Amino acid sequence: MAETPKSRMSSWRQFKAILRKDIVMELRTKEMLTSMGLYALLVLVVYYLALAQVGSKFDVGYIAAGLLWLAIIFTSLLGLNRSLVHEKDQGCLDALLLSPIDRPIIFFGKSVGNLLFLLIVEVIIVPMFYFFFLSGQTLAGPFWMLALVLLVGSIGIAGMGTMLATMSVNTKGKDFILAVMFIPIMFPLLYACVGAATGVVMGDAAFVDGWVQVYWRSLGIAAGYDAIMLLAAFGLYEFIIGA
Amino acid sequence: MTEQTNQEFALEVREVSRTFGARKALDKVDFDLPRGAFLSIFGPNGAGKSTLLKVLSTLTIPSKGKARVMGLDVVEDSVPLREKIGFISHNPLLYPDLSAEENLEFFAELYCLENPKERVRELLVAVELDHRRLDLVRTFSRGMIQRLSIARSLLHEPEVIFLDEPYSGLDPHAMDILDGLIESIRDQHTFVMVSHDLAKGLQLCSHALILSKGKIVLFQDKEFIDEDEFAATYRSTVGLGVS
Repeated sequence: MAETPKSRMSSWRQFKAILRKDIVMELRTKEMLTSMGLYALLVLVVYYLALAQVGSKFDVGYIAAGLLWLAIIFTSLLGLNRSLVHEKDQGCLDALLLSPIDRPIIFFGKSVGNLLFLLIVEVIIVPMFYFFFLSGQTLAGPFWMLALVLLVGSIGIAGMGTMLATMSVNTKGKDFILAVMFIPIMFPLLYACVGAATGVVMGDAAFVDGWVQVYWRSLGIAAGYDAIMLLAAFGLYEFIIGA
Repeated sequence: MTEQTNQEFALEVREVSRTFGARKALDKVDFDLPRGAFLSIFGPNGAGKSTLLKVLSTLTIPSKGKARVMGLDVVEDSVPLREKIGFISHNPLLYPDLSAEENLEFFAELYCLENPKERVRELLVAVELDHRRLDLVRTFSRGMIQRLSIARSLLHEPEVIFLDEPYSGLDPHAMDILDGLIESIRDQHTFVMVSHDLAKGLQLCSHALILSKGKIVLFQDKEFIDEDEFAATYRSTVGLGVS
């Protein structure tokens, strides 16, 4: 059926309602932000303890981007699980499904909410990460290039993560199932984002064929991954949420 | 070509089956319900009562067969159909961390109501919760939650209301309030109620249906129901005494 201006208006209104509701509830309970923030902090402490023993000959910069993305990916798992579990509690997901709303609107509403919370946590952990592991070191590239990788990576994590969390929320071991599905599916995105971020941190010291080229190629892969996965999620969400 | 529908009927159910793996939750269920009727559905646990309600309310897709509610197909016309149905469950379908007013305003936005704030206020007054409109739902008693749940289901002025064991867990006072609310809107709506309470179900209904193992055992107009005979059939189906 062709989309009319009225239906576009309705979809926008429904999207805003879902996003606003998630933000209001999170600001009230702080469940996701607290658990994700604390978990990320603990991961950084564990990294610090592990790397404290390696001595000055080892340049942490070479693995810094990998460590940062590992912290982000595991932290995001916590939040993604919570975002769908509170819909499932008290049958709220059924109430959403009973309303005259196209399922992809639910997907976009939940995904943007998850993206927002993930970015807030990143705003806290990235400076801490820099302070713990890269203080005194100058980034090879400008900070906005790192911020761009974080944004592109986070879009993929939030989008695919929301879809996978919806799939796993009805299963018995939802935490385990989400992690088992999430990590392998995220692998290409993670690989590209680590490559791009390593370029920004280390520059040509990490890539002999020019870090800027590697950066843009990796960012292109990450953006392509986001586009394909978001389109797939958009097309499949009706089936997934109704299953 | 669209199948011809009968404008007299609120529900037209044609050989609807629903399977979950090897288990048949509904097996060729077939009946019509006139507009304005009150159907009470009885049956033992696992008989398929809630599954039938989920199929009719578009929450579950039938594996076989066709069902229409107010002339709209539950699969093909699911989005416009959702504007015509309300659902009250023993689950509140409300967000505990939002206030009564926030919950109703959220759902009013999902239904794209023209004057959401006015409609919400009107319903909060109708269910006698106006004085608690700013309180979080998690602070409400079971009876208050059920009243708010009724307000949520009536926001968009549905034509058909599905009730899934709505009296479950209510104290006598809350039951009286629910009775009063149903009575006040009885004339303008079609009701379909799943219940384990034979006396209450028969008192309210204009039609009664007994399901067992996914099949219709009995479907009758109340006018032709001999209550003793009906109770005996119900008892033999459920395998338990009737209170």
